[in-house]
Amino acid sequence: MKKIPAYFLLTAAGIVMLYPLLWLAGASFKSNSEIFSSVWFMPDSFDFQVYKNAWRTVTPYTMGHYFLNTFLIIIPKTVFAVLSSVIVAYGFARFDFPLKKFFFALLLGGMLMPSIVTVLPMFLLWSKLGVLDTYIPLTVPYLFASEGMFVFILVQFFKGVPKEFDEAARIDGCGTLRTLFFVLMPCIRPAVISIAVFTFLWTMNDFLTPLIMIQSVEKYPLSLALRLSVDSTGQNYEQNKLIALSIIGLIPSITVFAIAQKKFVSGITAGGLTG
Amino acid sequence: MKKKTYRNPVGVSRFTGLLLISPFIAGSALFLIYPFFCSFLLGMTNYDGIRPPEFTGLNNYRVMLSDESFRKALGVTLKYAAFLVPMKLLVSLLTALLLAQEIKGIGIYRTVFYIPSILGSNLAVVIMWQYLFTSKGLVNQLLSLAGASPVSWYGDPDKALFIIVLLRLWEFGSTMIIFLTALRGIPKELYEAAKVDGCGPVRAFFAITLPQMKSVIFVNLILQTIAAFQEFNAPYMITGGGPLRSTYTLGMLIYDEMFRYNEQGYANAVSWVLFMLISAAVAVMYAVSAFLRRDEE
Amino acid sequence: MKNIFLKAAAIGCVFMLSACGKNKSEDVTPPDGKLDPCELRFSWWGGDDRHEATLNAIKLWADKHPEIKIVPEYGGWDGWTEKVTSQLSGGTEPDIMQINYDWLITMSPDGKGFYDLDKLSPTLDTSGFSDDVLSFGKVGDTLNAVTVSVTGRGLFYNSDVYRSIGAEYPSTWDELFALGDKFSTQDIYPLDLDIQSGGTAWYLAVVYVQQTTGRQFITMDGKLGFTVDDIKAALDFYKETEDRHVIRTVRTRTDEDGNAALYQSPGFISGNVAGVLEWGSSVGKYESVLPENVLEAGPLLTDGAGSSGGWMIKPSMLYAVSKNTEHPDEAAAFLNFLLNDKECAKLLGTTRGIPASSYAEESLEESGMLSGLAQENNEMLEKLDTVTISPYMELTRMKEFYNTAIEEVSYGIADTDSAAQEMYDSITQYLEKIRK
Repeated sequence: MKKIPAYFLLTAAGIVMLYPLLWLAGASFKSNSEIFSSVWFMPDSFDFQVYKNAWRTVTPYTMGHYFLNTFLIIIPKTVFAVLSSVIVAYGFARFDFPLKKFFFALLLGGMLMPSIVTVLPMFLLWSKLGVLDTYIPLTVPYLFASEGMFVFILVQFFKGVPKEFDEAARIDGCGTLRTLFFVLMPCIRPAVISIAVFTFLWTMNDFLTPLIMIQSVEKYPLSLALRLSVDSTGQNYEQNKLIALSIIGLIPSITVFAIAQKKFVSGITAGGLTG
Repeated sequence: MKKKTYRNPVGVSRFTGLLLISPFIAGSALFLIYPFFCSFLLGMTNYDGIRPPEFTGLNNYRVMLSDESFRKALGVTLKYAAFLVPMKLLVSLLTALLLAQEIKGIGIYRTVFYIPSILGSNLAVVIMWQYLFTSKGLVNQLLSLAGASPVSWYGDPDKALFIIVLLRLWEFGSTMIIFLTALRGIPKELYEAAKVDGCGPVRAFFAITLPQMKSVIFVNLILQTIAAFQEFNAPYMITGGGPLRSTYTLGMLIYDEMFRYNEQGYANAVSWVLFMLISAAVAVMYAVSAFLRRDEE
Repeated sequence: MKNIFLKAAAIGCVFMLSACGKNKSEDVTPPDGKLDPCELRFSWWGGDDRHEATLNAIKLWADKHPEIKIVPEYGGWDGWTEKVTSQLSGGTEPDIMQINYDWLITMSPDGKGFYDLDKLSPTLDTSGFSDDVLSFGKVGDTLNAVTVSVTGRGLFYNSDVYRSIGAEYPSTWDELFALGDKFSTQDIYPLDLDIQSGGTAWYLAVVYVQQTTGRQFITMDGKLGFTVDDIKAALDFYKETEDRHVIRTVRTRTDEDGNAALYQSPGFISGNVAGVLEWGSSVGKYESVLPENVLEAGPLLTDGAGSSGGWMIKPSMLYAVSKNTEHPDEAAAFLNFLLNDKECAKLLGTTRGIPASSYAEESLEESGMLSGLAQENNEMLEKLDTVTISPYMELTRMKEFYNTAIEEVSYGIADTDSAAQEMYDSITQYLEKIRK
């Protein structure tokens, strides 16, 4: 019964957090004039036509096609990002080597610079390499631990695992990589999974980079397809359709998060984090 | 020249680490050094995105000194970071504590609290914030139910920044997840031992949880500071930088100069100033954290 | 180790600067007068209706010219300028592009940013365009782009609200001000002027001053035509609309609508704000959020004593051809099809505004597709002595100057004298920098 206050608190906070979203979902069934005329979230009626239209799109492809494109980007990207970040973070956290400080400063520097300054140089580079309109610019950089923030997070988590673990593994005859994958990884698995989830979620919202790199509508990821019909200079405006599109766009992220959230906390916790 | 010694376990070469970070080294030339160097060079030109750039030396930096909108954006950015970062850390940490409990259905709550963060600052958020904070919006209606007079949120230069801070606070999920991950990594034995010693939950928090969480608090502090200094999307979507530029951040200024005003040279120069600013903030945090650690030992 | 990185960086930058300073302008492919099989990229931004219509037009083209394949590249407006700007700096832009009026200045400052379309005649037939309309696409003497449609600012009103309050649409400035009193009793507004996406506040003020002085705000060659006093008069005019309850103050407006455009605002949708100043080509958005046929075009205001000039027109969008295209003849043929072909015109309808090409316009007229607010507004404008606005007036930075002044005056942190002087100085300085 001690849990009742906790539930009460969580539910109350949860409602505050979620009510705007609930209203938004309701708004996708409302007409333009209804949307702001009532603070109550329930629409007068449910008509899924708006979702059907949004799903069909005016392009030769349905939203399903764009979902697939997004996954073609997200899956390699997530694998690349996680793998390279873990290995590089391991190197930084556990080994001493020439120019270590310089490289770590470089890594931090990459996080500190507004990423927008890299957009144009990278665009020009990829265009020189002739790989525009492919998914290479959107995925391959992640093979090289280019998301410094992930390395930075992981380094801190690695540091929390006692060094005795490595030593024990070494005594047992584990090599460097085996120590990483069989001894250390399980300890920091929750952090690794968070990084994978972050990569997934942030890629879903990524807009400017794919917009600039991808030319063919056929190859658009979902984030671009969702904004295909938004034209502030144009003739038409259907608020409920835009909302319906946003909601469609949220579904994969919510699903992935709901599945992954168990894993954030179920790592082997023996090591833990120390200061 | 003094030969440096490398502190590695016996039998591990000083090149092992180098080898492990070799993907980063290889990538950094292309993805960090090359664009940074270009950006630095462009910062000393008048490049407009179309015509060949002309070298103008430090002129962009000189212009910045007398650029009123730069000065104002700098002030807004600092104020924004000062408000947001501590509040966000606090809210995320408290929520993480709640969500770290092992009770039935906790997974649903974790998802619920994370969902806002998925939204980022897309169009849906714009409509939602309009619904909440416009003069006849939900918040003002609730205020009037409570007998208070309605508040001017969007139109008041002193309050507009606040609703952007609120948006980013509402999207505290990623910070919270990092805390949660670390919280669950604290060995339970520590708490059990403390309980045996007659330690209450509040004391346990200060004696066990906080010290155990130090490094992850530091991580989040750094990450959130960087994010706050670079903020662009939320004000761009929610207020457009107004009213009277009270929510116009340096991130917005850089974006506008780069893409809307075609002043790529200037935009790059401002980016470098912002970079130096964040570097200074992070350096201070590192120094303070090192100082605190030394104090402890 | 460090040396290697410095070298790598230096090489990388050579890469980049070679791209920036590309001297490809010498390599422009000249037309050879033949249509060869090839693939052409064509890009535009827009909403659903425009995408759908244009894709259909491309299908029609594919039936007629299967050997010239058109690859469409399209999207929403958000980020489209950024995309095209990047493409132009990398020389990877599509062969044919829909462009915005002010891009002529930002993307082709010397007339060399796009293909010289004069070279493409007679494949590209410009006989359907008046000289005036053709000149919109000229940078200096070079024809850089062809106008797709011409549009003008017009006044549109919520007829339900006007009827219920018993008010007539104003036809003079005085009548507009008088409406403020009438509407204020109900706490609603006859009109809205904004400083957000539309930036209409300054535009109406400019119309007023252009009408009274006969001077053009920004001249076609990019010079400030107004004096400081003219700017002050415009700001005073704006302030008066606020003071006399014709429009909401910036603060009230921001409080009620946030950063949203008027067509997304509760105030407009519910009828508390009953009028809007908008380009005829974009008024559809306002129409679509109100019940059908509720939005009506009102008269363009005059001083009531014979002076009716000052109202603005501009090309709502243009088509340009990449200077890097390898297939200029084929691009010209496709462009000609888009602009002049009668069947194509029927498919495209008015999704890009009322066509500027007389061939396309006739085709729409024959099939009864020329109706609606945009058309009504164009007809009204044709009767007036309009001013073609300069592309310089539409530059994003310029809009920032207008909006800053309006906002400062509205919030009362600057009087119209000092705001006018500040605006005059910033505009003069900026235009000088841009023009060179």
